[in-house]
Amino acid sequence: MSTFFSGGWRLHIVHDTGFVYDGLAHGSYNEARLTPASLPTQAVLSTEVRAVPGAERWSYTDYWGTKVTTFQIDSPHESLRVTGESTVETSSARTPQGNLSCTALLDEAVVDRFYEYLAPTPRTLLPEEVRDAYAIPLLSDDPHASAAAVSERVRSLLTYAPGTTEVQTSAQEALDRGVGVCQDFSHLSIALLRSIGIPTRYVSGYLHPHEEAKVGETARGESHAWIEYYAGSWNALDPTSGAAVGARHVVVARGRDYADVTPLSGIYHGAPASGLGVTVAITRLR
Amino acid sequence: MEASLVDYHVADAWDEIVDTDGSIRPAYREVVDSLRSMRGEDLRGRAEQLARTFTERGVTYAYGGVERPFPLDPVPRIIEAAEWAQLSAGVIQRVRALECFLNDAYTEGVVFNEGIIPRRLITSSPEFNRAAVGITPPNGVRIQVAGIDVIRDERGGLRVLEDNVRIPSGVSYVMENRRAMTRTLSGLFSGRSVLPVDLYPQRLLNALKQAAPVGVHDPVIAVLTPGVHNAAYFEHSLLARRMGIELVEGRDLVCHSNKLYMRTTSGEARVDVIYRRVDDGFLDPLHGNPSSLIGVAGLFNAARAGNVTIANAVGNGIADDKLMYTYVPDLIRFFLDEEPILDNVETHRLEDRDVLIEVAADIGNYVIKPVDGAGGAGIVIGPQADDETLAATREAIIAAPRRFIAQRVVAISTHPTLIEGNLAPRHIDLRPFCVNDGNSVWVLPGGLTRVALPEGALVVNSSQGGGSKDTWVIADHGPGDSAISTPTPWRAVPETVRQDGPSSLNRSDQQ
Repeated sequence: MSTFFSGGWRLHIVHDTGFVYDGLAHGSYNEARLTPASLPTQAVLSTEVRAVPGAERWSYTDYWGTKVTTFQIDSPHESLRVTGESTVETSSARTPQGNLSCTALLDEAVVDRFYEYLAPTPRTLLPEEVRDAYAIPLLSDDPHASAAAVSERVRSLLTYAPGTTEVQTSAQEALDRGVGVCQDFSHLSIALLRSIGIPTRYVSGYLHPHEEAKVGETARGESHAWIEYYAGSWNALDPTSGAAVGARHVVVARGRDYADVTPLSGIYHGAPASGLGVTVAITRLR
Repeated sequence: MEASLVDYHVADAWDEIVDTDGSIRPAYREVVDSLRSMRGEDLRGRAEQLARTFTERGVTYAYGGVERPFPLDPVPRIIEAAEWAQLSAGVIQRVRALECFLNDAYTEGVVFNEGIIPRRLITSSPEFNRAAVGITPPNGVRIQVAGIDVIRDERGGLRVLEDNVRIPSGVSYVMENRRAMTRTLSGLFSGRSVLPVDLYPQRLLNALKQAAPVGVHDPVIAVLTPGVHNAAYFEHSLLARRMGIELVEGRDLVCHSNKLYMRTTSGEARVDVIYRRVDDGFLDPLHGNPSSLIGVAGLFNAARAGNVTIANAVGNGIADDKLMYTYVPDLIRFFLDEEPILDNVETHRLEDRDVLIEVAADIGNYVIKPVDGAGGAGIVIGPQADDETLAATREAIIAAPRRFIAQRVVAISTHPTLIEGNLAPRHIDLRPFCVNDGNSVWVLPGGLTRVALPEGALVVNSSQGGGSKDTWVIADHGPGDSAISTPTPWRAVPETVRQDGPSSLNRSDQQ
């Protein structure tokens, strides 16, 4: 049994999310970004997004290249459960690609092309003194070395602590609190790398928790986030774990920050909602 | 005779009626003769009558929170056939270039790849609507209606001041001004062939029909208004009435299965084309302000699926951006392979460090405009601003040079205007309205001449307490009747950047 990519894994992922309402909701219109991306380094064997209550589903590819599934539930309902289920083949970690120097990245043509990955967003805006303290000292002319150093610095600045931050939390807020989750590690890394002129984007997806995962055993996975920086080519980096991005990582969406990759967004009429809780079950098949 | 031009002093700008030697410009001789034959109090009486007509018909504008009649000055603005021919050709050219640009910017981006303009111009613009990528206008038109603001400089040359291709408003005043003038001052028109302005609703309706989704031959069209509290509600209701179509608000609309419906007394009815007067950010709460109550959830995806056309298209604001304005001559050369017929006002891009330093040091001699300001908001006229304002403006442009442009202070032309019973020079501009039906771009002969009523004021806008004038385009009875704009063949979508099919939204599955 082999996979498309040598050293890659075949992973089965079931991502459950949704809302429960303090009463009835109706006229609900939603967009889900739960479909893994088809990439030169990642093959999607099967994928489906479904909702309970059932609804007619449509899909489109957004500006960032992510497949969006939309569905509308007009009739009254007490909860909404959305499930993304996929089988994906991943590939092993690549050696860093691209040989542009940090100086070359400052070229007007590069800045113009990747402006969206260089400009701060509300979640990745940092004051100059933070940049001067944490990013500038790590800047070498090699973007790969700079990115690795920034990622390591972020791990020294933030302590991983689930439940301490929310999806709205900015890099600055996480830095002030000294704690965060993968999203905060990624936002802070993005903010620092952009501040020294390295185009950087946010990646959302999944991570298998075990480096030596057993085939057929289902693990409680997580909805994960990491980053990609540009050095002539795009390179992935996982600032939360520091581990290489490879067979255990599944890419779903990319964008400037979390706002561009929100897994489930929508509007509805009716009673207030609370999150149903997110579970990701991930099984290595090969 | 108080209301005469005897004591009229020409300001240091080009005057539309009085030449520098005190003589009356030829286009105005008959009107000035008619005005001279009127007694001062008579003219004032007519002016009051005009205001009463407006109040009765509800032609009002909310200024400073107060609804008041939009002041119509009794002295008309006149444009002769030859000049109109050149002016309309210039604005048509601009609209054609902006159509090509918008289509390109939301698809291939050839204009960026070829290095004609920086890609950053759109990626740094808050008006770049990424949700509009993948929404393909069925007949290629994104600018059903444009308002291209034009001024006359000190030497009499016409220049474009700004492009409005999002939701240009004001055309109802053009129609109402003419209606009021022909009733109240009919004598002024005698012997002149003034081109009519009431063809506009018909032209707009036709453009909206032509924009219908593929396969829809008799489309249902509705005007979407934010509601009665909107400053331009009068215009929304007038246009709906004159086109004979429904006027709806967000709460009247609903989407099912990527189709748009309006709620009627006999159930839900499909809507094929929506002429929206609601800003992008409020049209669909899924793709903008999530708490918007004036839009309808699912509208963008219905458009993406090719089941409804949104006119004007979503995302046009990148063409209105005043930094983009500085590149429009380049767009005309690139997309149309033509030289611009109308010049811009000399404008400085502040992202260039040297330019920024120069402008900041001499800020009192420039006009500073926010790139996304509408309705004259936020404009600082250097020579007329106090030190405090100048200091704050200097700080603002240094902090965010992308957010502003600097222009030379143009003493825009003046026009005799009835002020407290006397004719006095007041600065004016002109907003010609263009309608693109996909076959040709048509310009409403005339347009809205706006008057800055405070003495010396250079910001001419209805939302800045301005007034307006009936604007006459005189028919040219020579061969070809050049005053009626000749339909200009319009390349709907350049071949090289045409997208496949009407939609990128596919039904993925069905339960």
